[in-house]
Amino acid sequence: AAGVAPEDAKAPELRTAASEAAKTPDSVVETEPYLDMGELRSLVCDALLQESFYQNKKRPVLYRDQDHTPGPFLTQLVSTLAAYLSNRNPLLAASSLDLKPEVNYYWHHDEEVVVHGHRKGRVDPVRFQIDDHPHLQIRVPKQLPEIVQLESDLGDVPVIDHKPSKLPLFKRQYENKVFIGSKVADPCCYGHTQFHLLPDRLKRKRFIEVRLEDQIEVVYRANGIASLFAWTAAQAMYQGFWSEADVTRPFVSQAVVTDGKYFAFFCYQLNTLALTVETIKNNPRKNICWGTDSKPLYDVVEDGSVKGFNDEVLLMLVRFLLNRPKEL
Amino acid sequence: GVRQALWLTKTKLVEGLPPSVLSIMDNPAHQLENQEERVKHAISHARFWNTREVAPNREYYCPVLFEDLLHLCRLMAMKYPALAKRMLARKYMIAATWERESILLQVRGQNGMLLNSMAPIPPVASKEEILATEEHVLETFYPIAPTIDLQEVNVYKELNDTGFRDGYPYSHPHTLFFLESANIRTNRFRPEQLRAKMLMFAFGNALAKAKVLYGNDPKVLEQPVVVQSVGTDGQQFQFMVFQLNTTDLVANEGIKNLVWIDSDQNLYEKAQCVPEVKKRVVTKPAGIYGFQPDTFKKFLALYLHGTV
Repeated sequence: AAGVAPEDAKAPELRTAASEAAKTPDSVVETEPYLDMGELRSLVCDALLQESFYQNKKRPVLYRDQDHTPGPFLTQLVSTLAAYLSNRNPLLAASSLDLKPEVNYYWHHDEEVVVHGHRKGRVDPVRFQIDDHPHLQIRVPKQLPEIVQLESDLGDVPVIDHKPSKLPLFKRQYENKVFIGSKVADPCCYGHTQFHLLPDRLKRKRFIEVRLEDQIEVVYRANGIASLFAWTAAQAMYQGFWSEADVTRPFVSQAVVTDGKYFAFFCYQLNTLALTVETIKNNPRKNICWGTDSKPLYDVVEDGSVKGFNDEVLLMLVRFLLNRPKEL
Repeated sequence: GVRQALWLTKTKLVEGLPPSVLSIMDNPAHQLENQEERVKHAISHARFWNTREVAPNREYYCPVLFEDLLHLCRLMAMKYPALAKRMLARKYMIAATWERESILLQVRGQNGMLLNSMAPIPPVASKEEILATEEHVLETFYPIAPTIDLQEVNVYKELNDTGFRDGYPYSHPHTLFFLESANIRTNRFRPEQLRAKMLMFAFGNALAKAKVLYGNDPKVLEQPVVVQSVGTDGQQFQFMVFQLNTTDLVANEGIKNLVWIDSDQNLYEKAQCVPEVKKRVVTKPAGIYGFQPDTFKKFLALYLHGTV
């Protein structure tokens, strides 16, 4: 997951010119006929039970709870569901699954005056770099369909006056890297879905102890927006678009952010890459991210059975995996 | 090496894969669309496109290649829905104990990945072949003791544990996967030792499962337990099918267990990351050389074994 601290919900929004709508768009919400929910539910429960109950494991390493149970559970869940749903979705049958890939994107936005050094006083663009490590990602050879029109305007982007390094997200910038998870020669060059696992230090329990419950959702959202922007923009760059040559078609990708129990779903549509000072002047386009709040998949695992299983979350996950271009 | 492992597990070796696996391999219905192309993509993905460096090292490409091949195998669930009833356990712990001629031996620890399935693999050898192993004499290495190079430990619990609790729905061990992904050659197992390791762990898993199913008394099994094993270092694959016929391992005579080994199958000869240039002329362009589709067919056949 991209390293995110609770207070900076707005910073990624400004820098990526993204506005957010609080629900998932209609194209993902069409109901699929004849889905065997019982079968899917049993697959998910089996994966969950194996990782949390049946397999004899040693105690989790200190502060690495996420590697002990939720991590393997997520890997297991996605691989089995993707294989099971591959006959419904031919795109999944041609997909490529990456475990712990690296996603990087580098861009310029806004300007600042250089403060120290021999270049003092000169005006430089502010450089941003996202280095992301999703837990799992699915890459496909064909692009997902657009959700809304390229030029649509769904809201305004909030403005922040501080320098980005004052908020604990873009502190230092080392290497300029752009990478979607594999090189340009790979035929699976479009992104389908990413799965992010929140690290231990951003556990819900910790937020509740410090009485910052309203910041829990912020973490999910910030992770979703930042990671998806980096991924879609890097995909666009692989196709030859950049800030001077803006995208001619929208790039769409999806993400699921989870801590093992609570799942939040995000869709992102990249409409513009032109974020530098010169190109943003006459650019009415905005990038859009849709997202849900985090909901629990189950209540508790006890004695070899899963209690309080939430079918809605499973249905959302299945719809995400079944998303494909209209002609397929 | 393998000969020592054969003595320790009271097993008879058969070269090549068993006929049931070979028949799955030859059946054209058991193939993915564009299988060759997709396997080549998987190799290219692992060897070239995985990281931002020009040539990823073995620690990167070995697991990635394995995951990609397994993903391709899982997509066969389109045709055979029963394949969805499999679960991969990554860091499982196995413990098995047995006696061989008054030496107590144990297999323990966290090594490799285990693919479990709900249904057991049916026995591969016929009853006649099993009875024929009675005449086979185990190879001894006098004057070298068979326990040479084994770690001698004082273990106070003679433990037999499959690594999972009771009531686990995917209770039959199906295939073990071993990845030799260390970068330095001396940290990797040589092919002979890798095969011996695969044999010992397949035996350990089969024995633990047999003791759970049929009890701790040493006896000849009515329904032999079959466990498969695949080992790779990112380029070469070793395939193994092990059948446990008996848990009576103390004496040297009697029915033996059987193992079929197909060793040193190269998936490809060379993966050239950067084109080789001599005197400003490209002699060898970048790409995969010497691709052998049969190796993946064997991998897929072992995966499908037991379900089709």
